[in-house]
Order: sequence, then C-alpha cells, then structure tokens
Amino acid sequence: MYKSGKYRETDKMSDLICDNYPMVLVLNRFGIDLGFGEQSIKDVCLLYDVNLCTFLTVVNFLVEKVSNPVMNIEQDFSLEALISYLHNAHAYFIDFRLPHLREKLVGAIEGCPEDVRIVIIKFFDEYSSEVYKHMSYEETTVFPYVRELLKGDRNSKYSISIFSKRHDQIEMKIVELKNLLIKYYPGPGNHLLNSVLFDLFATEEDLVSHSHVEDFLFIPAIRELEKRGVKI
Amino acid sequence: MNRLLTIAVADTSVIIRNGLVSLLRHLNGIRVQIIDIATADSLHEILTLHKPDILIVNPLLIGYFSLQQMKETCKCLNMKCIALVSTIMDQLLLRQYDEQISLYDTSEDLYKKIERLQALSIEVTVSEEQQSLSAREKEIVICVVKGMTNREIADKLFLSTHTVITHRRNIARKLQIRSASGLTVYAIVNKLVELNDVNL
Repeated sequence: MYKSGKYRETDKMSDLICDNYPMVLVLNRFGIDLGFGEQSIKDVCLLYDVNLCTFLTVVNFLVEKVSNPVMNIEQDFSLEALISYLHNAHAYFIDFRLPHLREKLVGAIEGCPEDVRIVIIKFFDEYSSEVYKHMSYEETTVFPYVRELLKGDRNSKYSISIFSKRHDQIEMKIVELKNLLIKYYPGPGNHLLNSVLFDLFATEEDLVSHSHVEDFLFIPAIRELEKRGVKI
Repeated sequence: MNRLLTIAVADTSVIIRNGLVSLLRHLNGIRVQIIDIATADSLHEILTLHKPDILIVNPLLIGYFSLQQMKETCKCLNMKCIALVSTIMDQLLLRQYDEQISLYDTSEDLYKKIERLQALSIEVTVSEEQQSLSAREKEIVICVVKGMTNREIADKLFLSTHTVITHRRNIARKLQIRSASGLTVYAIVNKLVELNDVNL
C-alpha cells in the first residue's frame, strides 16, 4: 500500500489534495497544516514528524477505495500513528462535525411546524449519542488494549475479534435522516437546508470510509500483531 | 426500471472485468450494484453471500459443470446467467446460459440483453416495491411510534407477532427507515400522530 499505491513519497502534497479533496481531512487527522507550498509528501511528513509509511498507506487506502482487508502491511507502518489518526478523526466527528451540523440543521428547519422540528432534532440528538457511544468504546477499550499489545503485554482477556464482531455501521441512521428530509420535508426549500443535505451526504461518506479504515486496515493489523505477539 | 440490480461479473482478466463494469455503470435507466469476481475459487463463495440477480461469467470459469447445480448449491435459483464470450466456444457449453455477450457488443446490445433478462425475473416485484404504505402498515407505524412492543401491537390489532414483524420489515423496506425515532419523524410529518401521542 505504501510503495505500490497510487501516490508515492515523491509526489507533491498539493497534487494529492487537489486531486482528492476529502484528503484535506486526512491531513488534519495526521496533524498537518495547509500551506506546504511545493513540497513533496515525504518532505511534509518529515516536517510534521508524521510516519510516512502510515500516511501513505492511509491515503492510498482511501484514494483507491479499498474494501477488503489489507494483508500486506509494510514493516515501517506505525500502529501508534494510525491510532492517533483514528483518535483525531473521532474528535473531529464528535467535537466539530456533529455539533456544527446540528446548529445548521436547527437553522435550516426553522420554517417547519414546531412538532416536526422537535422530532427531527430529537432524531439527530439520538444519532449523535449513538456515534458518541460507538467512538468512545473504541477510545476507552480498543485503543488501550492495542497500546498494551504494542508494549508486549498480552495478559488482557480482550481480543480484536470482539471488536470486529461488535463494530456496527454508524452511518445507517444518517442515511435515514437524509431520506426523511428528501422524501418528507414539509417546509419550504431553502439554501441552508440544501447545504445541510450536502453535509449529510459528505458526513455519510466520511463515516463509511472511517469505518473502512478500521475494518480493513486497523483490525487486520491488530490481528497480525496478536498472532506474532511482537511490535509491527 | 429503477430497481437496484445486483450484477456479478466473473472473469479472470481485470481489463475485461473493469471495461464491462464501467459500461454497466453507465447504462441509462438501470441502477446496478456490481460484484467483482476474479477467480473461479471465489465464485461459489461470493454467489452464496451476495445472491446477485444476474451473473455475467466467462464460461471457461465454469467449464462443463452444470449451472443449475451451481445455482442450487449457492441458493440463487432465480439468478440469470449470461455467458461472456471472448473466443470460439462449444455451443453445447453455451446452451445452458440465459443470454450471451460478445466482447464486440455495443452498449445498446448490452442494455437490451440486460433489460430482457430483468423483465423476465423482476416484473412481479417492481410495482410492489414502490408502493407507499398500506392502511394496515400505517396503523402499525402509529403503534410503533407510541412506543408499543410487537406483542402489544399484535394484541391490539388482532394479529400474530409474526405478522407484525413481517409488516415492520416491509415498512422498513418501503421507507428505508428502520429506527423508531426515524418512524416518529415520518409519522409526525405525515400527520399520522400528534406530538403528545408520541413516546419521546
């Protein structure tokens, strides 16, 4: 994924982003700021002290829309870096994306009858708390387990198959909200509502690719680690 | 014509597979979900898992095995099979297929062949899928958003719980809404219930 993927370390960072704008989010999650000029992917990663192999693996995984488990993970790949990426993604959804979307949604449905407004917002809040539960489970149970594994501590009763089995699709309910607004929204159409819809489509995609990273990159890497019992 | 059609494309050549997939994705009036099968080994497993409506397959991958037998073991009895013919082939081998596609077919040919097969297998389900909710289904939605359990709904409407579950499954399929809070939004917007009836 790192050496054989579509993007290589010598490609310009700006080309990667311009060709695939959702990768802006990936930059954030690796702690890289915009404004990197003409520098290559390798130089930018060096500058920000980001593990190059992990960055390129994630980028190529997302760009190529991989949807089966990645088995050929390279030596230089850092699970610690992937965990920090996933952690930042969670923080993004919970601290920014969902609250921001809620605020916009409240404004967009202002012209609706009150009862409709109440049930739509209630739906959204329920959804947010499901996402929160889903992600905090990973933060409080899965990540600490993996960190222990990385330290060579294998005493834990937990295993990644437990996570893999209970890892559900968190984007399903956002699809419902999208459907409800498109098919049954009773108020007058407005620009803000359109913008909310665009956000819903984008958030859905973002959540799907986030789960893909967990299911097809993170979980297989942990399985490998469990088998070998050594740091990869 | 806008039901989602699941088509499995099986050929060992990635160039042929991707070329065909790209044509299928751009056929007007047909919405497709594509399953890509690269090896004979994975064929059975993938068919059993996804149960596609149509299988487009290089007959060399199947060889002289019986298609009927394959459909039975994979439990896809209604699946239509199209032979993807790239060389001169034994007519005996091709006889068991519902249709044939040649490498030199135009995208119109492809469209007509798929449309014909689709008409064969799907006529019955199309009209049913697109209906809005029946009166009975609406009653059930109302009960659900009031917070009643399947058991309570069954007792109230003199149905078996099994029937209630079937209705709920049909409702979910028609509306693409599964959660109770999603159904609440549906019920309020469509004025099936008032806000103070709802179990918030």
